[in-house]
Amino acid sequence: MPLDLINHRDLRNVLLNMSNGNGKTGKQIEQAGPTCRRKKVSGGDEFAQAIAKIAVAQVCESKGFQGFQQSALETMSDVTARYIMSIGKSVNSYANLAGRAECNIFDVIQGLEDMGYAQGFTGASDIDHWLEDSGVIREISQFVNEVEPVMFAHPIPPFPVVKERVLPPSFLQKGEEPPDDHIPAWLPAFPDPETFSQSATVNGRGTEPHATKVENDNSNGDRPLLNSQQQIVSSMFGNTAMNDPAVPKANTVAAESNPFLAAPLKFEDKEVASIAPPAKFFNNTVASDIPILENFVENEPISVLETFAPAIEAIKSTCSDSREDQTKFPVKEKPTVRFKVGTKNKFLGRSIGLIPQNEEHNKTLPWFAMEDEKDDRKRRAEKILRESLENPDQLVQL
Amino acid sequence: MNQNQQPQQTSSSEGRSSADDDSALSDFLSSLTDYTPTIPDELVQHYLAKSGFQCPDVRLTRLVAVATQKFVAEVAGDALQHCKARQASIPKDKRDRQQKDRRLVLTMEDLSKALREYGVNLRHQEYFADNPSTGMDPATRDE
Repeated sequence: MPLDLINHRDLRNVLLNMSNGNGKTGKQIEQAGPTCRRKKVSGGDEFAQAIAKIAVAQVCESKGFQGFQQSALETMSDVTARYIMSIGKSVNSYANLAGRAECNIFDVIQGLEDMGYAQGFTGASDIDHWLEDSGVIREISQFVNEVEPVMFAHPIPPFPVVKERVLPPSFLQKGEEPPDDHIPAWLPAFPDPETFSQSATVNGRGTEPHATKVENDNSNGDRPLLNSQQQIVSSMFGNTAMNDPAVPKANTVAAESNPFLAAPLKFEDKEVASIAPPAKFFNNTVASDIPILENFVENEPISVLETFAPAIEAIKSTCSDSREDQTKFPVKEKPTVRFKVGTKNKFLGRSIGLIPQNEEHNKTLPWFAMEDEKDDRKRRAEKILRESLENPDQLVQL
Repeated sequence: MNQNQQPQQTSSSEGRSSADDDSALSDFLSSLTDYTPTIPDELVQHYLAKSGFQCPDVRLTRLVAVATQKFVAEVAGDALQHCKARQASIPKDKRDRQQKDRRLVLTMEDLSKALREYGVNLRHQEYFADNPSTGMDPATRDE
């Protein structure tokens, strides 16, 4: 829907609602769409842009337009703003050229002439002419005489509003002595120690990220997986925080809480928890087997996959069956899983419950029995083969 | 900032005295105080300050405001000419055109044609195809 004659009431809502952020609330729906989608080139200039839109719309209205396309109006107001800025830039540069910081009427006339070269004005080609009777001035005075002045639709407060900044007090103002000689007294004073010391547990937001991070680790004491460095640091931190909440200690603790800055450990300093992953795979009844397995693991360089692949396969294949017969077990065993288990399994002489549910299988499935089962399977396979060859019409359908 | 300062000229306009020129200019500037430009002073001051223009004199700000208003008015006038020319050339029946087509809407098309003469190159979308009335003349679109 083409935007009708600019409704001044609606645009006043725009100006009033600017403080709600980006002018999206009070605008009409047609306006909100393109404004939301458009990328903001100059952020924070919304107020001036809105005023420029109103002014441009009023000028066009006085020329005879009855409606505006949304994008056309925004484009025109943007061009107008750039026109003003371009005039200001050239006027300023003419003033600077003459060695001044403040601008003159002559600077303005020269700036306007610069803008007018594109369109042309009378006397533009004169190389020497008085600035007072420049063509631009004549044209502007003609314009002023012809056109009826149209007042801007709304009263505008002076903008942008400059907020009073509350500066932090200096050492002199606070009456404090700067802590060191190299700090002059007119500089802002240091913040109070309470703002950054380790009472950060109260509000949960310390000023030092390292300190708070370790604090969180300390509070969750049940974490078994803290690495050794973190454990040391947290223990150090725990001790020092109790003793000394003063400023220097807080600083050193903050430095110490960085695990990368902590001193390296010697071998015997820290009791490292031994790794016991096999306990996850096997039943609790065979927990006694774990030391053997551990020793085995530490002594022999054997890959974990090799060691536990048969167990994993067995569990996958048989853990749903509660009544698994011992004899059926090797048949369900997938023969493809052979990671040189046969050579190394001879060291293990204990059973490690491959079938968790039934106890009757516990004593009957030692590690080395795997080897026997494979031999059994081989033998059985050969037997079946022989039988099939001998009795071709009595083949056992597997 | 001396407004009576004169450039040293020997060639043209020897018959005139500088006082006349000065008075003409100062008359003009004083007439500016009577004329309130449509573009408000605060807006012009904001954009001028953004670009480095520093002047406590309000009359100079008014001068820039009037110059800008003249620019906008010229562009709008050119766009109006284009709009009217387009309306005159559309082969539609007279009944429609006289009744409701008299409304003049500033469109991107007219604006881009008008601004091209001022050195501003404007490119715009030809159409947005999200509704059936896409591509029709925007002034006649029935929405």
